[in-house]
Amino acid sequence: MIPLLRAQTRWECPNCPATHVTAGTGAQLPFHECPGLRGILAPYVEAGTRCKVEARDREDYAAGELGLRTDQDGRPVMSVVTTRDDGQDCAVFPAAASAQQEG
Amino acid sequence: MAWATSNISAAMVSNFFAPAAALTYTGDTVNVALYNNSVTPNKNDTFANNAYAAGTWAGNEISQAGQWAAGGVALASKTNTFGSGTAQIGAANTASGNNATLTAVFGCLVYDNTLAAKNAFCWNYFGGSQSVTAGTFTVVWSGSGILQFTIT
Repeated sequence: MIPLLRAQTRWECPNCPATHVTAGTGAQLPFHECPGLRGILAPYVEAGTRCKVEARDREDYAAGELGLRTDQDGRPVMSVVTTRDDGQDCAVFPAAASAQQEG
Repeated sequence: MAWATSNISAAMVSNFFAPAAALTYTGDTVNVALYNNSVTPNKNDTFANNAYAAGTWAGNEISQAGQWAAGGVALASKTNTFGSGTAQIGAANTASGNNATLTAVFGCLVYDNTLAAKNAFCWNYFGGSQSVTAGTFTVVWSGSGILQFTIT
């Protein structure tokens, strides 16, 4: 019998001690609410990656947008940027498009 | 003009009552196309003009072949739920390939790519200019969904 080895991807966060493991490779980028990044939903990075992960506050008025993501102080955050030696990733947080019917 | 908010068109809602096109969120292929800040999303424009490659959505698309191709990336794990006075559609996060270079992305159009007219469900604003370099661009949909109707 030949044992099958299942690949794993190990993830970590440069801003807090959180770690994560996903089965296989090419898995969708995992996220966590990061206590080291104002409580914002932040992506993990593959273990061993030299990088910084930073939140970017919304640059426009909130304008009553529904479901904006905010930091622990209630400030709307529009994206989290991961800057690596060889590039930059970006996770954006759009609001929900919305319509309201008042009865 | 430019992006100011996420929204739907009134004509899309009107289409529910006299369907000119069978917008089918969970059954059809629904794509997410990215745009720069030169579009002028208009909730009062026609159903035909609030569609991929029509009206203000003709031109100004941001894309890269093999990463976030022209026409957009298809939504996966789509949901259509209702309860507690709301109805919403959602999906898993939508991501590019891992070697994307996209500059000055301000928002996206979510549209029915199965329909010939490619009519839109909605457009979603990213709140400012977003870019990636040799990396992954991910749209993390709101906990309130991609589009939500609220009845109060």
